[in-house]
Amino acid sequence: MVEHHPAPELLAAFSAGSLPLGHALCVGVHTEYCNECQVNVQRLNKLGGQFFEDLQPASISENLRDSVFSMLDDTPESEQIIVPTTKQNSDIPRSLRQFIPESYDALPWERVTPSIETAKLCVDTNGARVEMLRIKPGGNIATHTHTGDEFTMVLEGGFSDESGIYLAGDFVFKDGKHKHRPMATKDARCICLSVTDAPIAFTGFFTRWLNPLLKKGHMR
Amino acid sequence: MTNTESDIETRAVLKDCMAKVAQQRDKQAFAQLFDHFAPLLRAYSLAHEPGSALVADELAQEVMIKVWNKAHTYKPQVAAVNTWVFTLARNCRIDYLRRNGRYCTDIDPTELFNDIEDDQPDPFQAIQQRRAESRVQDGLKQLPTEQSQVLAKVYLEGKSHQEAAQELGLPLGTVKSRVRRALHKLEILVKR
Repeated sequence: MVEHHPAPELLAAFSAGSLPLGHALCVGVHTEYCNECQVNVQRLNKLGGQFFEDLQPASISENLRDSVFSMLDDTPESEQIIVPTTKQNSDIPRSLRQFIPESYDALPWERVTPSIETAKLCVDTNGARVEMLRIKPGGNIATHTHTGDEFTMVLEGGFSDESGIYLAGDFVFKDGKHKHRPMATKDARCICLSVTDAPIAFTGFFTRWLNPLLKKGHMR
Repeated sequence: MTNTESDIETRAVLKDCMAKVAQQRDKQAFAQLFDHFAPLLRAYSLAHEPGSALVADELAQEVMIKVWNKAHTYKPQVAAVNTWVFTLARNCRIDYLRRNGRYCTDIDPTELFNDIEDDQPDPFQAIQQRRAESRVQDGLKQLPTEQSQVLAKVYLEGKSHQEAAQELGLPLGTVKSRVRRALHKLEILVKR
């Protein structure tokens, strides 16, 4: 049962198409796990439909009309055969398969600490870093704050921090105000999708020296 | 204020046109859809890129062709035609921004917004969806201007909360809370 959802205004921004794509990816993955948010997005789309319908119509040239009608007899898209590029029985959420066609294990994981590995998926225009995290059972991440927003989707296993327990399907949002020390549950490894606007900052005395390294990593 | 009868009638006519296009490839029915939606699609694009007539024509053309080619995927029990066309236009706009390097990213947006198809749409859910529709239609007119203005920035102009906050000279938190209050008033979200 999914317990943690994106905030209402975030779902609305997703439905409006006004979220940066990295963030939209995170919310999209969540809706694949969460029927409730999926229904809510459908309902929010109606709001978009209403705004759209209430627009003051803009005039149409004859050229545009002719051009559209001349294209109607071309081969319709619907007749093209769509070749599935991935295995149908994949556990990987559909919107992530463009980056992860095979399995989580086949990703180019890089070790960050003995218990944490990351695999970068892409960097979004706004500089947001879209990456996967793999945390060993019981592994923890040093206390840190965020210098920007961080969206996390739990895909496998789970983790906990000061404010709760997050399991597969849960959506977690942290901003610069949150300071936390996440720890993977002890029974299994934890795999997450993470989208960070800016590098996280460690606040502990012993881990603060890691900050310049992390900033460098974010630029890659 | 309630939905006027002519609105209800228009929606029924448009649904009927969709069925004719999907089943009979009826060009006259498509012409009706074109006359209704193409001017709205241009307006939608102009809300985001004021003054760019070319972009507006391109978006209107692309979406109308999609309406013709994908008519068979439209589900009348889930959404009114205007909602369906809005989602096509939204996806087209995202794709346009991506192709033009403004969302320079490797993320392919086509998969993000695909609803997971229900094999048998739940009849209860269909009723809920229709109720939500008329509530939104009536409720939007009654929202305080400060709330509908923020929602319009997000839905029509495609602005992020940060951009909306900057343009309206408001703190980010105020923008978010106005969106939240508007959604609450419209009773749009299914309760958790």
